[in-house]
Amino acid sequence: MTGTPLDLALLLLWGTVVGLDLVSVPQGLLARPLVAASIAGWLVGDPVAGMRVGALLELFALDVLPVGASRYPEYGPAAVGAALLAAHQPWSVGVGAGGSLGLVMAALGGWSLQRLRKANARLVQTNAAALTTGMPATIRRLQWTGLRRDAFRAVVVTSASLALALAGRNWLQVADVPGRLLTAALVGAGVAAALTGAWRSAGHGRRLRWLAAGVVVGALAGLFL
Amino acid sequence: MKGRTRALARLLAVQGVWSYERMLGIGMGYAAEPLLHDLQSIDPGRHAEATIRSAEFFNSHPYLAGLAVGAASRAEYDGVPGEQIRRFRTALCGPLGALGDQVFWAGLVPGIMAFALVAIALGVGGSGLLVAVVGYNAIRLAVTVWGLRTGLATGLQVGTAISASWLPRAASRIGAPAGFLVGAALALIAAWFLVPLGSAGFGVAGITAVLGVALARWGGTKFTSLRFGLMTVGLTLLWMRFAPWP
Repeated sequence: MTGTPLDLALLLLWGTVVGLDLVSVPQGLLARPLVAASIAGWLVGDPVAGMRVGALLELFALDVLPVGASRYPEYGPAAVGAALLAAHQPWSVGVGAGGSLGLVMAALGGWSLQRLRKANARLVQTNAAALTTGMPATIRRLQWTGLRRDAFRAVVVTSASLALALAGRNWLQVADVPGRLLTAALVGAGVAAALTGAWRSAGHGRRLRWLAAGVVVGALAGLFL
Repeated sequence: MKGRTRALARLLAVQGVWSYERMLGIGMGYAAEPLLHDLQSIDPGRHAEATIRSAEFFNSHPYLAGLAVGAASRAEYDGVPGEQIRRFRTALCGPLGALGDQVFWAGLVPGIMAFALVAIALGVGGSGLLVAVVGYNAIRLAVTVWGLRTGLATGLQVGTAISASWLPRAASRIGAPAGFLVGAALALIAAWFLVPLGSAGFGVAGITAVLGVALARWGGTKFTSLRFGLMTVGLTLLWMRFAPWP
């Protein structure tokens, strides 16, 4: 069901869109792991698996505050590969395995963003003289070059993510992995990540009290799940 | 002044060539180009100078960049001296960055994603996520339209317009509901994952979470959440490989 050439082509296209969305265009939440993985899961016929692994990675992404020139992981294309790995597996195994792949790829994606930013800086430097002439065509060319480079970067990162997911699927088939432990440990790490991020944003004021109230209400509601 | 629709579309890609050197600068110049086009027939020299200025260093929250693009373009048509426009652009960087980060990156984005997580945990599923994404993008687009319009309408007075707008109020009010939603989502999504895994799952997740929070709070800046996650994966895989497993 998964891993057909058509599936992979659609996932590659989606991963590229997701990769572009994070910084370049249009920054419309498509790069959030919950969104990226849910759509990827739907594309390979298992939206629930995509949603589950996306929810796990979203906990990690909630810790990220992409302000100014800060460096951060890229969870979007990583989540696409994670969804492919988790699809059509028992969720207790698939979420842990997909989440692990997602974290590794998020680190690589973040590194690729830094490389792109440095490459963009070199591009602007080499065109510094042309930019002082006031020709709009120079600005247009730089803009489109930047977008093309980011699209290429997203293709490469998504391809790597999908290749690792396919390799991981073969491994999951031959290994008797007690995946519950990995899933539970990653949920714990994800909760720690999201809580740390929320705590940092909340500071010591009113927002911290609201955060605590939310945890209490959520825990009470969780008793009825 | 023509080209507003094209400028608006280009503002969606204002970070298309983000770099450490000019940050949003080139994207700002790209977005301003349709707005400055008419200046070419009025005063070609001024148009060239305005084009150069439009692509110089600029940094702000990307959703609010339209305020600066619109205001600076209006100032170019109003014949404001170039150096004054440069200083004006520089002065806008800080407030537009701080307000945007507070409202969107630290408020609306975590709040909306937490809403989607709550919806999923409560069994609403994909429709909750769809509402979140569509709702967010409607707000994002509306803010971009508002920013460009306000900038074009007020020019150098855009600072006053921002102060009197919804933006500072939103920045001070969005934190509490976002914090509440994130807190609720955390607890609910943890239960959603862990209830089917039983008490062993709760135990493993609880120990990992406590360790993770402790390291993040008191372990220094090296312990990012991603590194802790990768460390968790590594240690768990090692445990699974070498420990006796029932």
